Amino acid sequence: MYGFILMTTRRQMLQTAVAPMIVPSVVLGQRAGHVAPSDKILFGGIGIGSRGAHDLSKLLKIKEAKFIAICDVRNERRETIKSTADQNYGDRDCKMYEDQYELLARQDIDAVLIATGDRWHTPLSIIAAQHGKDVYCEKPCSMSIEESWALAAAFKRYDRLYQAGCQRRNGANFALCRELLRAGALGKLQTLYANVGPSVNWPPLPSRDWLAEEPLPAKQVLDWDRWLGPAPWRPYHSSYVRGGWRNFYDFHGGGILEWGSHTVDLCHWAADLDDTQPVDYEPVGGNTGPYAVNCTYANGVKLVMRDNGWDGALKTGSCSFRIEGDKGWVETGDLTKIECSDNIRPLLRPTEDARMALENHMNEFVRCIRTRRMPSASAAAAANSHVTCHAAFIAFQRGKKLMWDPAKAEFTNDDVANRMRSRALREPWRV
Amino acid sequence: MQQQPKPVPPAEYQEQAIASMDAAALVRILQDKSAPEFQKAKACVRLGELGAKEAIAPMAALLGDEHLNVYARYGLEPIADPAAAEALRAAVAKLKGNVQIGVVNSLGKKRDELAVPMLGKLVYGQNVPLAQAAAAALGSIGGLASAKELQAALGKTTGMMKMVVADAALVCCERLIADGKREPALALYAVLSAPTTPKPQRLAAMSGIIAEERSLARPR
Repeated sequence: MYGFILMTTRRQMLQTAVAPMIVPSVVLGQRAGHVAPSDKILFGGIGIGSRGAHDLSKLLKIKEAKFIAICDVRNERRETIKSTADQNYGDRDCKMYEDQYELLARQDIDAVLIATGDRWHTPLSIIAAQHGKDVYCEKPCSMSIEESWALAAAFKRYDRLYQAGCQRRNGANFALCRELLRAGALGKLQTLYANVGPSVNWPPLPSRDWLAEEPLPAKQVLDWDRWLGPAPWRPYHSSYVRGGWRNFYDFHGGGILEWGSHTVDLCHWAADLDDTQPVDYEPVGGNTGPYAVNCTYANGVKLVMRDNGWDGALKTGSCSFRIEGDKGWVETGDLTKIECSDNIRPLLRPTEDARMALENHMNEFVRCIRTRRMPSASAAAAANSHVTCHAAFIAFQRGKKLMWDPAKAEFTNDDVANRMRSRALREPWRV
Repeated sequence: MQQQPKPVPPAEYQEQAIASMDAAALVRILQDKSAPEFQKAKACVRLGELGAKEAIAPMAALLGDEHLNVYARYGLEPIADPAAAEALRAAVAKLKGNVQIGVVNSLGKKRDELAVPMLGKLVYGQNVPLAQAAAAALGSIGGLASAKELQAALGKTTGMMKMVVADAALVCCERLIADGKREPALALYAVLSAPTTPKPQRLAAMSGIIAEERSLARPR
């Protein structure tokens, strides 16, 4: 008997035991493309507001996935998201939670969509990884250099998949620009340009002030303590909760993080710089009007983070980026069109609309969950692009050129800047 | 829909001159009993950026304040002088509730090895959130002493607490490897690979062993 077991392979055993039980799907009346409920990737969501609802709308279109749980500190939001999911699937399966730990404790949930305010992104992503979940998280992914590294370390530790909400990595017009660089059409790479948040919308130096105190709403309507989460305490004001938290330092990284988390990320992705950061950062301009941070990588390539208005000087759209080589240049943004030097024009081809990027990005994440392949906007890649943005943000706050050692992960010419690499998290939160 | 006007911070909640004050002036704000909460909060953040050693005691005095605890730690965490960690250690015994947890978190962030014996005891306390914070701090601090405490706690904890201890032990393993202490790290990973460890942490420990073995690129 012992010998028989040794000679029988697992595959043979399965063939013997399972094969007679298999019933063709046609017999069950299943249509082509149908995904069995047991084979779906199950999602939960945490903090799904206006941006998160946009992400969710793409997720709900994916047949291989199902969104079954929502957690939010606002009861109104919980109800809205549940209603959206239930209407989409024609059932009442979406469960509502006030506490993220209850949602994350569900063994049946494979992945979570996190679209809270920025202050929550890193702590929640790490907690989700600790619970064995894969994560799609909106950008900016971190509030500090320290959080960026902690995020990457946690996802490496747990071998979980992380897709940063840097969807332009799956935008065809952005991909064509990358392809032209990598194919050598632009020649030797000289300078990357990342458009950062226009100062009229998000100044590079967010306010450190507080708004006047307003009466707290009832806890069941809004739990202010939970809403603040890891951010330092301040008195309640309804404007923060309505999206007005942006442009306040305790909640936001200003224009550099707001768009740099997209466009610096694009530069890194295009130029194969996903594992490093520039070695110097020189701020230019003030808090009002156009501003820039000029940076240099160890290989001599330049990165210019610049406020070039909402659509960029060439009107290629928001979140545009530009690649300059010694033989040509290309520039594109959210309006899909690609501007380029004359010699590159014959190499252009029509591309899919840039607005498809988010849907593609979400689809890529779901595919990666199934195949366990690393998504394009991984935690490690996000860490490097976000550290670059945070370093530029610190240089802007310091108002001086800062030198950075990527190997030691520290500034080499400013102790104050080094002390700004981290922010204290309000108790009991930690990363 | 009519857009609401953007609210403007009132004068008493504007940072203004505090942003450019020197350490001495900022310390005076902390020592002034009549200074508003807002001013003290902002002074702490700026003092942390300046790394002002003379601000350690006045900031430590704010650790018991429910609103200002985080700001005091904002100031104390980046100060490298050993007196900052000493002040945090001293505060642990005097505080209760979330502010105590915040201080424990800061000791972990500062990787304060002198806090290990105290944290090792807190891991077994009745206050579960505090015990979890202590375990996480031990992991963050790393080193052989923390590894010993966490390994012992793995055998004595269950449920969510065990998960937090296991997570801290994983972090500790990474710290040990970074410090060149490979064998103790592998030994701790092996303990974490036991079937009693929560699944995410058990799988992570196994991945850790494989990654470490691969890093040596030994022929097999």
